[in-house]
Amino acid sequence: MSAAVAAGVPIEYNEAVIKKFVIATMFWGVVAFLVGIAIAAELCWPTISFGLSFLNFGRLRPVHTSAAIFAFGGNALFATSFYVVQRTCRARLFGGEALANFLFWGYNFFIVMAALSYVLGYSRGQEYSEPEWHLELFLVLVWVLYAVAFIGTVLMREEPHIYVANWFYMAFILTIAVLVLGNAAALPVSFFGAKSYSAYSGVQNAMIQWWYGHNAVGFFLTAAFLGMMYYFIPKQANRPVYSYRLSVVHFWSLIFMYMWAGPHHLHWTSLPDWTQTLGMAFSIMLWMPSWGGMINGLMTLSGAWDKLRTDPALRFSVTAVGFYGIATFEGPVMSIRDVNALSHYTDWGIGHVHSGALGWVAFISFGAIYYMVPALWKRAGLYSSKLTAWHYWIATLGIVLYITSMWVAGIMQGLMWRAYDQYGFLQYSFVESVVAVHPYYIIRLMGGVLFLLGALIMVFNLVMTVRSPSTQRQDAAVPSGAVLVGA
Amino acid sequence: MSGDTVSDVVVGLLVAVLGLAGLFLTAGALDDEIYIFGLGLMAFAVLFDLGLIKAHFDRRERAKGAAP
Repeated sequence: MSAAVAAGVPIEYNEAVIKKFVIATMFWGVVAFLVGIAIAAELCWPTISFGLSFLNFGRLRPVHTSAAIFAFGGNALFATSFYVVQRTCRARLFGGEALANFLFWGYNFFIVMAALSYVLGYSRGQEYSEPEWHLELFLVLVWVLYAVAFIGTVLMREEPHIYVANWFYMAFILTIAVLVLGNAAALPVSFFGAKSYSAYSGVQNAMIQWWYGHNAVGFFLTAAFLGMMYYFIPKQANRPVYSYRLSVVHFWSLIFMYMWAGPHHLHWTSLPDWTQTLGMAFSIMLWMPSWGGMINGLMTLSGAWDKLRTDPALRFSVTAVGFYGIATFEGPVMSIRDVNALSHYTDWGIGHVHSGALGWVAFISFGAIYYMVPALWKRAGLYSSKLTAWHYWIATLGIVLYITSMWVAGIMQGLMWRAYDQYGFLQYSFVESVVAVHPYYIIRLMGGVLFLLGALIMVFNLVMTVRSPSTQRQDAAVPSGAVLVGA
Repeated sequence: MSGDTVSDVVVGLLVAVLGLAGLFLTAGALDDEIYIFGLGLMAFAVLFDLGLIKAHFDRRERAKGAAP
């Protein structure tokens, strides 16, 4: 323990950078949902892109996915990881203000540049890994410095124990670095040109891409958000983690198994059969560690379930864990080769992804942000619990409309594509399946609009939380950003 | 030098190098994407380093104000 800490000198956490990341999270969340609605509308009425190249589906779709995953999700992870690591380690963020600010501005500069490059028509054409080589290099630099700041803080900790949430965040930071370096390996045509060619070709390229792609789901969208869950649910419920031992066991099993699940994205392709079987087997095994996390999250509420009635922010976090359970049950089912024969290339996949992205990732982030904003801005509480409850119900209804419509549309597509008539000819042309799913696309669009509406209510609620005199604290003895050691 | 000043110098120099790289990219750009990225990197570096300088002097003034 340092002399300053031993003497009871307050630790000044770097909260300024967390506030910036929180604001960016909400900004990019609204952008991601808005672009999602735009492309959902384009799928219903394709002519609404007005023939403008930068508005067509192919260019806006990566803007939507990158804004949702890397901009909204990424900023939420930066914010919460810096919030959690400083508090659980009782140490100020390593690297000083300059490094923290570089991480904020550098990461968001990357996002803006990547979005701009997509609408201009530049893309590597690989899902969730669209940025060209120069943007990937810049991202790697930011990411390595993120690792320096986070791991540096862990190394400088005043607590002997490393809390489990930090293990999840560290696994996320290290693995994403390895994944990006591995998958983005490419040879540029010129150092002064954006075009590059992947270091891998053919089926190897597909395999590396989905090794990256599924681990982006596993480590960016799962492990890191589990870190968020392990800090914020116990805090919101004011209960200890149900089983610390289970958290450690499911952490190691989860990160070991996720690495092997990628080939399930390539069933029935030229990828060797044994590789597909390996991916399927590990995906099914993943069910156990995934549900280990879900059980631990839900059971943390033992003795505090009544709080769900009075705290809508906690309701977001707990519902998120429920959606995590649904998505991590559905995923292994869809990875079974025979189920995949029906589900692959259909909207069932889109429904599955959104039950994870909206139900798990967005809801756990909303829960954490509702908790953090009054704490960071030193307010007595949220401006309106009623508005939070409205947000919860509107967003939940939006998700339900979204995922049920996509399930129905996806299964219908799968069945129509494989239907044969008595002469052995395909019973339906492709365009007939497009016409058949049109009503479900409109229902999906309505679901997206409701989700955006909920997010706008949240923005208003958070702005009022920070600005309204009604949320002012009566005790302002502790200066902003300072926490008394041992308090 | 305090921890924050060391951080200012190290990060400031790194960002300055990025800004120069941006200028070189823009100068030799073969397509719009690299041209825009290079200019963006240079603008990012200039604004970020100006922000660092401002934060440094703000800190110094605060320290002066706090001194007895």
